[in-house]
Amino acid sequence: MTDLDLVALMTEKARSVQTVVEQCPHWAAVVRYTVELTAAQGGPTIAPWGLPEEVRDMLANGASEKGLRLLDPPFRASLEEIHTAITRADWGIAETGTVVLDSTAEDLRIATMLSETHVIVLPQGRLRRSSFDVAEAVKAWHREPPRYVAFISGASRTADIERVLTIGVHGPQHLHLLILQEGAS
Amino acid sequence: MTTQAPQDVKTYRRQLRRALDNAFLRQTLDTFAAAYRESRARAFEGIDLEGLIADIARRKASALPRLEELFEEFKRRAEAAGAVVHSAATAREANELIARIARENGVRTIIKSKSMTAEETFLNAHLEGEGFEVTETDLGEWIIQLRREGPSHMVLPAIHLSRHQVAELFEKVTGERQDPDDIEKMVKVARRTLRRAFLEADMGISGANFAVAESGTLGLVTNEGNARLVTTLPRVHVALVGYDKLLPDMETALTILKALPRNATGQIISTYVTWITGATPCAASPTGRKILHIIFLDNGRLQLAKDPVFSQALQCVRCGACANVCPIYRLVGGHHYGHVYIGAIGLILTAFYHGVENARALVMNCLNCQACKAVCPAGIDLPYLIKNAVRHVLEREKRRPVKNLLLSKVLKDRKLFHFLLRRAALAQKPLAGKEPLIRHLPLFFDKTHGFRSLPVIQAVPFRDRWERTRPPVADPAMRVTLFGGCLIDFVYPEQAEAVLPLLSDHRVAVDFPPGQTCCGLPALMAAEKETARDVALQNLRAVDLDRSDWILTLCASCGSHMKENYPKLLGDDPVWGERVRRFAEKVIDFSSFLKNVLKVSPEDFAPSSQKTAYHAPCHLCRGLKVVEAPRELLKTAGWDYVPTKDEDVCCGFGGSYSLEFPEISAELLKRKLDHVEASGADMLVTDCPGCVLQLRGGADKQGRRFRVCHIAEAVARTYRKSR
Repeated sequence: MTDLDLVALMTEKARSVQTVVEQCPHWAAVVRYTVELTAAQGGPTIAPWGLPEEVRDMLANGASEKGLRLLDPPFRASLEEIHTAITRADWGIAETGTVVLDSTAEDLRIATMLSETHVIVLPQGRLRRSSFDVAEAVKAWHREPPRYVAFISGASRTADIERVLTIGVHGPQHLHLLILQEGAS
Repeated sequence: MTTQAPQDVKTYRRQLRRALDNAFLRQTLDTFAAAYRESRARAFEGIDLEGLIADIARRKASALPRLEELFEEFKRRAEAAGAVVHSAATAREANELIARIARENGVRTIIKSKSMTAEETFLNAHLEGEGFEVTETDLGEWIIQLRREGPSHMVLPAIHLSRHQVAELFEKVTGERQDPDDIEKMVKVARRTLRRAFLEADMGISGANFAVAESGTLGLVTNEGNARLVTTLPRVHVALVGYDKLLPDMETALTILKALPRNATGQIISTYVTWITGATPCAASPTGRKILHIIFLDNGRLQLAKDPVFSQALQCVRCGACANVCPIYRLVGGHHYGHVYIGAIGLILTAFYHGVENARALVMNCLNCQACKAVCPAGIDLPYLIKNAVRHVLEREKRRPVKNLLLSKVLKDRKLFHFLLRRAALAQKPLAGKEPLIRHLPLFFDKTHGFRSLPVIQAVPFRDRWERTRPPVADPAMRVTLFGGCLIDFVYPEQAEAVLPLLSDHRVAVDFPPGQTCCGLPALMAAEKETARDVALQNLRAVDLDRSDWILTLCASCGSHMKENYPKLLGDDPVWGERVRRFAEKVIDFSSFLKNVLKVSPEDFAPSSQKTAYHAPCHLCRGLKVVEAPRELLKTAGWDYVPTKDEDVCCGFGGSYSLEFPEISAELLKRKLDHVEASGADMLVTDCPGCVLQLRGGADKQGRRFRVCHIAEAVARTYRKSR
């Protein structure tokens, strides 16, 4: 399977579980997308975690232009204030539309669990076909505990009332996957 | 919450009758059954499902003898990573341990994510009794917690409730009006209300889908994301995990994960899969790291793991599919089809986790239709285990019903058995008159059994007609032993007689050894395993394998029992093991024999314009895995085959089941006949005399306008003799 096939498969499978998928040629596009999305949703805040320093700075500038507030860790202080979380994925699993995040850091967990919208940036080179292709990496993490690893496939959902699929019960109500093309990530 | 299942069949039947009146439940479960079937098939597209099931079964089975060793390994790894790992022998011990952990950590409020193991121990009741405030956070679990009831499905705990019931409940909880038709808004109410509970909780309790020994890792699979919050926000996390969830490695967990969501909900993966090793950072904890306790619950599992038969039950991955496809569950719902654990696996586990008194009535409620077995991702032979569970209950209670004693006594002595059948033919005369059916049942049946007419027992059984009817075959191309089975032999000999000309035309020399008897399935169904073995031996002795290319049967139940259960009953026998395997290999059903061995062609038949529906017998389509042959045969034989809804759902016969639970049997029968009627068919064909008995009796009693016959009779009718 070529890289392009993997991207196509990832896109198809992620969309099938209501993930919004976009390709971004570089970090600037990621920043622009995140700021515009948050502004459009009327969200007052963005909680970035694990982004390169210069990207964080770009985000701070973009956010302030739109009148949005950037939150700083520790996020326990702002549990009820996180509108958008923006984080990086460690791996993507194309055949199930899944992103894998080493979520050991508590701030990352809080941002990705308590936000209304979660924007995940997946560098294209980290995309694999199946869960078994990332098994070794997942095992390696767990050999160095403590560890909290999350496989995320779409936004939080339930079908507990009359089996009607409803998005956004406990976790984020919107999941946006930005596949980052540049090798510079 | 009820902590007791029905203690006797009479009480249970009363509850079942009430459940059958619940129109909403029936509609919901019907829609669910159809939707599940489709979404599951879609989810497994492109996957070698048989291979995956075999892989999971093998991996789980090989972990079971090592559970204690895997526990030690898990404990070593997890404790090195900052967790405290416990083992609890009983449900009570686990509950008390959790309460103690809560007290020691100054806990007042507790949030929980869904855990069947915690349901098993009735943990909430215990913690509330100890003064803790417990909130379930899975939406379905929260709803049933507020209603003070147990789950009615392992994956969809509140599937028995309507949007109106949920709206009413939420109005009480929030004091605000709710619009029952705005489900999205009600979900948001839960989101807001439960968010407070998450933020305020001192302790989180979760279960686990996997406990990976090699790294001491817990694996949790959820859609809502509540387990992530439960394991992240509070300073204390307690995981209550059954010993059976222990797996050696991550690959095994990922292999199960490939099947679990697909089989549970038709999703290719659940939204969140979380892997936790050790005490992760937690700013709410005084040490800055999570206070993590992992409790492995035994509650009978370690004993069960050593049992040569029942250990298989521990292969269960809790996908809930055995309920989804069960025709009985579909009629009465989970509150009437299980105790805490629901569905086929629930019938079995109840006997071991919640006492035989709670399983006594439940275990009887199985048709042996094999639907659960066919859908189980861990390859568990659920119907077989259920029959063994019946035996387990009887042994524990030192009971053996009179009918079991009689059945055993009679079946062990073929001459006595056949003598009694001949006497019965005489005894029924005044009831039947000249009719082939008995429409008014004698007094020893109660009126609930009157949903179908019964066939009369023939004055002259097939075995007595054989020497007269046996067609001469001068130059045989092959030799076939005809295995009649009781119904063909004593009730419907015409079904076998109908095809004799076709067989002789194809130079098939047929033998009917008189030493053959009942196949023994009724004995196994009644949990009389020794009798089933004994009867199997009688048949093995009766058949000359060297003079039989095939053992042909017109009864799918006999066929699948002989092919699958005979090797289970006698495969390990030093004297008979080899012979029983050869015997089983030669067993073939009528449709497969005609289609695949004789290779009959359309030229052999005169076409008919009659629309013909088909009922797939459980023991043919799932037992013998023969799916296409009968449908192909019908078309080849010139019948205008019309597909009908739920063709492969049980007709409700199930042998003695229809006497034990007549209300359920009658309802399944009615639905089956309704579907056939809706198709406009003139004839309903099936390939099991048991199904013929049920379907023909029901069609007669209900005055349906189509005829019911065995496929052998249908084929004989259009057959052009001796081209």
